[in-house]
Amino acid sequence: MPASAVALLGGARVPANGEIGPQEIIDRVERSGLRGRGGGGFPLWQKLAAARANAAGGEAFAIANAYDADPDSPLSQTLLQRNPEAVLAGLALAARAIGARRAFLYLRPDAEAEAAWTSQREGLSIEVVRGPGGFMGGEETALLAVLESKRAMARQRPPYPAAQGLGLRPTLVASAETLAWLPFIVGGGAEPTTKLVSVTGAVRNPQVLEVELGATLQDILGKAGGVIGDLRAVHVGGPTGGLLTKEQLGTKLDFDSLRAAGTHMGSAQIRVLGDGVCIVAEAGRLFAYLAKETCGICVPCRVGTKRVQGILEGITSGLGRNDDLPWLGELGDHLSEFSLCGFGITSASILRTSLAAFAADYEAHLGGRCPTGTCAPTRTRRYEMMAQP
Amino acid sequence: MSLLERYYQPSESQIPTVSHHGEIPSGQPTTTITIDGQDVIAVVGETILRAAQRAGMNVPTLCDDEKLAPAAACRMCLVDIEGSERPLPSCHVAVEPGMKVTAKSDGLFQMRRQNLEYILSDHNAYCMPPCQVGCPTHIDIPGYLDLMSKGQHVEAARLVKEVLPFPYALGLVCPAPCQEVCRRGLVEEEIAIRQCHGYTGELALEMEEAPTPFPKKTATGKRVAVVGAGPAGMTAAYYLALDGHAVTVFDRLEKQGGMLRYGIPEYRLPKVKLDKELNSVWQLGAEFRGGQELGKDFSVESLLAEGHDAVFLGIGADVSNEMRVPGEDLPGVLPAVQFLRDNASGIPVAVGQGTRVIVLGGGFTAFDCSRTSRRLGADVTIAYRRSRKEMGAHYTEVDDAEHEGIKLEFFVAPVRVVEKDGRTAGVEFQRMELAEPDASGRRRPVAIKGSEFVMECDVAIAAFGQTPDLEFMEREQGMRKTRRETIVTNAAFMTDRPGVFAGGDAVIGASTVIQCVGQSKLAAKAITRYLEGADMAEVATEIAAEEQVPDLIDIVPYKPEEPQVRMPFLPFEERAKSFALIELGYDKSGAEKEAARCLQCVCPDAGRCDLQRLSLEHGLTNNRFHRAEPVDYHDYEYDFSHDFILRDLNKCINCTQCVRICRDVIGANCYGLMGGGYDSIVTTPWNVSLSYTDCVSCGACAETCPTGALMMRERDLQTYELDIVRCIYCGDCVEVCPHGALGETPNFELSTYQRFGVTVLAKEELAAAKNWKPSEHIPTDAETHRSPVRPPEVRPPGPPRWGA
Repeated sequence: MPASAVALLGGARVPANGEIGPQEIIDRVERSGLRGRGGGGFPLWQKLAAARANAAGGEAFAIANAYDADPDSPLSQTLLQRNPEAVLAGLALAARAIGARRAFLYLRPDAEAEAAWTSQREGLSIEVVRGPGGFMGGEETALLAVLESKRAMARQRPPYPAAQGLGLRPTLVASAETLAWLPFIVGGGAEPTTKLVSVTGAVRNPQVLEVELGATLQDILGKAGGVIGDLRAVHVGGPTGGLLTKEQLGTKLDFDSLRAAGTHMGSAQIRVLGDGVCIVAEAGRLFAYLAKETCGICVPCRVGTKRVQGILEGITSGLGRNDDLPWLGELGDHLSEFSLCGFGITSASILRTSLAAFAADYEAHLGGRCPTGTCAPTRTRRYEMMAQP
Repeated sequence: MSLLERYYQPSESQIPTVSHHGEIPSGQPTTTITIDGQDVIAVVGETILRAAQRAGMNVPTLCDDEKLAPAAACRMCLVDIEGSERPLPSCHVAVEPGMKVTAKSDGLFQMRRQNLEYILSDHNAYCMPPCQVGCPTHIDIPGYLDLMSKGQHVEAARLVKEVLPFPYALGLVCPAPCQEVCRRGLVEEEIAIRQCHGYTGELALEMEEAPTPFPKKTATGKRVAVVGAGPAGMTAAYYLALDGHAVTVFDRLEKQGGMLRYGIPEYRLPKVKLDKELNSVWQLGAEFRGGQELGKDFSVESLLAEGHDAVFLGIGADVSNEMRVPGEDLPGVLPAVQFLRDNASGIPVAVGQGTRVIVLGGGFTAFDCSRTSRRLGADVTIAYRRSRKEMGAHYTEVDDAEHEGIKLEFFVAPVRVVEKDGRTAGVEFQRMELAEPDASGRRRPVAIKGSEFVMECDVAIAAFGQTPDLEFMEREQGMRKTRRETIVTNAAFMTDRPGVFAGGDAVIGASTVIQCVGQSKLAAKAITRYLEGADMAEVATEIAAEEQVPDLIDIVPYKPEEPQVRMPFLPFEERAKSFALIELGYDKSGAEKEAARCLQCVCPDAGRCDLQRLSLEHGLTNNRFHRAEPVDYHDYEYDFSHDFILRDLNKCINCTQCVRICRDVIGANCYGLMGGGYDSIVTTPWNVSLSYTDCVSCGACAETCPTGALMMRERDLQTYELDIVRCIYCGDCVEVCPHGALGETPNFELSTYQRFGVTVLAKEELAAAKNWKPSEHIPTDAETHRSPVRPPEVRPPGPPRWGA
């Protein structure tokens, strides 16, 4: 670990940074190369600079997204328990950088303890808001809708929140983890080299860990006590993430390597699927979850996730046909090309990775056999092509 | 503190809403972008979609309204923008100078098509009923089934009789092309459409006077002669009589009915009831002259000379085609039509107990002959040169025949009739096989050499189809016939001789009853137009427009499964030697239950619906998401409780236009996206009736709805008359009307509300038109036992009720 490195969960003292001006904050963030920890990996300084330019001294807002949309990846919750000061100081710095006088700490609905916090610092009021629950509640534009007392639904981008956010004013939305880095970078010259991850599933010690960016998945699983039994797949990036094989355990945990492997950082959940898990059934369960959680505004996501779920369940119920596989590929492409927000766009990675790396599982089902012997039929009817006579 | 109060501002303020029709308003700064290689001038700040629409480009969209902030929900208007990672909704992206946009490409087309397939897989409704399209008469099937399901059977019979005067007879003998395409078949089983109108027809028979679709028109003074009292002639006579003409029907046989009486055996259609139904034509004033043969007792020439203004030839096709094999003239070889006619007329036939009969052919007539012979006690074999599935008869008929003990012999063709003692002793056959597909892809049967064999019999009945008997034409002027021995007519059913029309089998060759009825219905219309002096070319165009086959798109229907209500049939053991009717018909509850199964595949919005238009443009003639589990689809309750707006959530595609227009333009905020995930649906809070919301009945939601999910209620014409003596022109009624239905014009006296707009009529106009009467009696409140719902400022028709 370099001398300037900081572990967010390590309880490092948050440096004071009272004197630094807005432009200097943005410059220092740019030099640090800090990328959004919420999953997208977008350079934070660009968001700050855009929001600052768009606000042009007028009303602007800063929002720390500590919602933890993926309930199995409580990164913000852990961070707020271990180092709340870093998040609040970071939010204050971001607000200062863009000229916001109001900031929000956006929490999951069951965050009882944190809900009592309110904070006044340097003339900035930080308000605590609890979201509505559900996976979509954490999406950055759905979050804005919630703050506007509307249904948690995604909004088309562009325009990005940095241009038109809360109340159509420039708004910085960043994850609590990203913002927690700010005081260390701006005041302490730290390099943001670590990432919080949540290791779950078939490992000995499922937990939230802080790991170096660039560590391999294999190393991270080792830190969580190692895999129980045989590993069949790792599901990286939360509910919409892709499924990686045993051979892909050497993949480095960073934004670009994960994308190259067909998945994304997402909620930074690394879920180990043991050898009893049928990948087709797993994909079906994921799409069932997504079809339940979609916000319902755009057609590809609202209907598409349900239809993909149906096809996958058809396959696991022994009703699959050979042309189902290219069909799933086609629907996956449609999801990623035509969906409105990242929910639909990234969900295609489940199909892409599983169809490419676990083709054998699909083939086995098409041949009438579950590869792990765990699938029981869940439906008696599949989708049929019928033309009007 | 509510952030909404403080920060909410509708985002349409961000985008200048400039009318996309016509010119760019002067003074607007403009910029140039490229769409599909074409330079387009756009107003700075407007969306790509708006710029494209102004340039006359058709970018598909289902959730855009220029009054509203974009939602980007339907994902139909997505376009490729140079430099953008993925397609973006053109309704949401503002133009930028030099922007290069691709709105039309194969890739986008496929993606949009996929989108529509998704939408149609969760759009539990249908535009146009395929059954209605499939029936030659285009009878309003969903309409009469709906009436039947509500127990209004006479009204249903009336509706049927608009295009099909004989629902009882057709209910028994029609091959029901409607049922083959019934969309309920995509759920589980088709509706028993035929038996349903059969029930209403049977019910109507019990009425003293048969119900008519509309009142008989006043006499026109024109005379029309109809030749032939079969389905074609009787249908034409029915509608011509209804149109007010004096109709005389001629037939060479003594009794009415033509093939219905003399071709279709008693066990399929009881003649007593047939007569009762056909008598409805005489009830309308038409006259019947039986035993009068065209070409012998009278001619077309003489009919016209006697003062008939028009002649309709519905002479049918009743000459059996020849076998064209040696020995067909032997005694014991019977033409099918004659066999059936003799049996129906009570003339003894050469078939009896133990006779061995071979019936040649595979059409309806072949089965009528064989099942009749079977009932006469014969031992029957049907010989057909192709396989079962090519048979012209309906498959149910084939199955029934087999169950009744008739043997079927496939892939055999007769070579000659075998003679013994000057009589038929058998038929020699050749076995056939299917040849390799020819250029048209059809596999013709060809003979297998050396496969000849003899099947012994006493009687052979040839049922190889029929042709019209056109002998009379040799002595007629100005009419032509085809090589197939049918009469030549133009598209308005008129022969080359003006005033002489023809229809039915005589024109199309031997076909089904329903085809003849469908044709004659149109011919009757053409005759009436002819008698009115219309241009026949125009009439032909009208008929062609009426007969145009609409394009259908494939939408996934979902209703809980409910099998067809089974109709009782005569048990097989009771059929031997009995000509009793086989199809016993529905009872009242059965008919109503079956009619209620209809999916009502009919949408008043068809033709105006954007979803329908785009689906046609994208070729959605099939859908891959049929027939899965109930959880994959939605089946919502209608909300028809509002006085003005009909809501059918089954048709909602979640475009949220109504949500936005009601919230941002009207301000009532009645709708929202409710539910979660796949089950998200635009509806009222807690899904209550629209009547319980803040709805102001403005109709903006129905106007903007791209589908038929929200529609203005079709309203009866209501008239409110003002008592001119008492009106003081205070204008209070105009003030108080929330909908602007009463306008402050110098001469308004009466207002009517209709589906597409408000019509204000002047009382002077009404007074001038003395014969104006409401199309229907307008019930007073006392009659309907309702409390007055009209605004008290406008008085109901009738004398003022003093002290009321």
